Amino acid sequence: MLIQQLVNGLVVGSVYALVALGYTMIYGILGIINFAQGEIYMYGAFGAVLTLAATGELGLAVMAGVGTACLVGFLLERIAFRPLRGMHPLIPLISAIGASILLSSLARLLFGPDDRSFPIEFNPVSYTIFGAAEITGLQLIIIGVSFGLMVILSIFVNMTKHGKAIMAVAMDSDAARLSGINVNNAYVITFLLGSALSGVAGILMAVYYNATSFSMGLLPGLKAFSAAILGGVGSIPGAIVGGLVLGIAENLGAAYISSSFKDAFAFIALVLVLIIRPRGIMGSRK
Amino acid sequence: MSIYILHVLIMVSLYAILALSLNIIVGFAGLVSLGHAAFFGIGAYISGLLMIKGLGFVSAFFLAGILTSVLGLCLALPALRVKDDYLAIVTLGFGIIITLVFMNLDITGGPDGLVGIPPVTLWGKPVYSKWAFLGLTTAILFVMILSAYTLKQSKIGRAWAAIRDNDVVAMFMGINTSYYKVLAFITSSFWAGLAGSLYAHYTAYINPQTFGMHTSIMILSMVVLGGIGSITGSILGATLLVLLPEILRPLADYQDIFYGALLVFMMVFRPQGIMGRVKITEMFGRKK
Repeated sequence: MLIQQLVNGLVVGSVYALVALGYTMIYGILGIINFAQGEIYMYGAFGAVLTLAATGELGLAVMAGVGTACLVGFLLERIAFRPLRGMHPLIPLISAIGASILLSSLARLLFGPDDRSFPIEFNPVSYTIFGAAEITGLQLIIIGVSFGLMVILSIFVNMTKHGKAIMAVAMDSDAARLSGINVNNAYVITFLLGSALSGVAGILMAVYYNATSFSMGLLPGLKAFSAAILGGVGSIPGAIVGGLVLGIAENLGAAYISSSFKDAFAFIALVLVLIIRPRGIMGSRK
Repeated sequence: MSIYILHVLIMVSLYAILALSLNIIVGFAGLVSLGHAAFFGIGAYISGLLMIKGLGFVSAFFLAGILTSVLGLCLALPALRVKDDYLAIVTLGFGIIITLVFMNLDITGGPDGLVGIPPVTLWGKPVYSKWAFLGLTTAILFVMILSAYTLKQSKIGRAWAAIRDNDVVAMFMGINTSYYKVLAFITSSFWAGLAGSLYAHYTAYINPQTFGMHTSIMILSMVVLGGIGSITGSILGATLLVLLPEILRPLADYQDIFYGALLVFMMVFRPQGIMGRVKITEMFGRKK
């Protein structure tokens, strides 16, 4: 029972971690919270589901989903965030909230108010681990894809030229500009990366829960946001740890305390951690 | 005047009280709160339950304010530890937790909400007339405006302004920043609780959805739209955001799209809000 809950928590937590990485990277470089990250997640899922329903090709659908998410992220950066650079943090926060309302109501208009199921079914293979818990093939895929992407992201940020440029801008954007780094490019790349990760997370969850709807991004978005803050916003390992902790805490709380308060456990864990460590588990004091 | 217009005016005055109360946290003290509707809801439920249990309106009304400010104190304590965006998510989480509590307790009626809340009674007589109720809410709004002005000019208001502009410097000036931050939350939640009480007795039925994140964001938008820290701005923001859905009713499907676009548009083109930094007394009064 306990191990089963840990496995389920790990699956959801790794998806939270993917979305939280988007939050944390955007926060690290721009100092703003992209409140509409959950909506990017939702558009990613819709992009994939609609393409799959039309063509039936999974690879194409995933590419379409990630593409849609990137497009939404790109437009957001251009329209709602770029003009607000350097202002009081409350201003871009409100702008992002506005964008989030706009995007989710637009989705309701475009895609309708009902849940959509995922067009193809996955083979329900499951394996028994530790003699006590079952893990399905789908859950293994979700964990594998999530951790694979985390590794790729870490390599990108630490090893490549563009990744190092992003880190430099996050540390000091003026000094980065003086050393010849195209700061605007770094912002755009960060937004595209964050959106792509959220898009993948959206697709994974659309398959996992077999439901895609215009409001699917709201709670995962907020929880991933909490995960980013829990781990210490701006820190990539922090986002991963935060996402996993939150996913596991939520599943254990729902299983052992009360399932009707499932959505509250993530936030209770967040408040408790912040009281003890105000800048998150891995956050550094600036 | 038709009942409909009276109803809209009552809503404007209630939301003006809410926006002004949030402005104390956001505008005066410079702290962020994304969970203000929770205080509104707590006031509504407490007042509604107390009156169902047989208490009179006046005592239920003030108890709602006082008990809500006790919860404001509870939220203020973690809020002292965290800042800015961290505070935003903590208050947002608080709002979600409170909504879930309303949804799951038996005493609050669960997701169905609380039904049969008695109307406002004054001097032993129930007030059914919308005119009389509008008079009551306007009077309370007036008291709120006066006390907000007085607070803003007082020692407390100046301490808040110092904390808002730079809390480290404020601390060096000898201001007890923790005390004043907690005070901002207590004052603000007291007024939100009063607004909740009025709302509960006005509609006679409340449910958890009314006090969710959507409402919190709407109240914050009113403050920001009007101009952070401006008293006239908060009232104007509340008026606009209550009237807007009524005017846009024929375009019901597009209403939220317009609302979201308006927020982005305002932030990009006039981030200081409609009344930001320009005070109404300066617009009409003597020129410097």
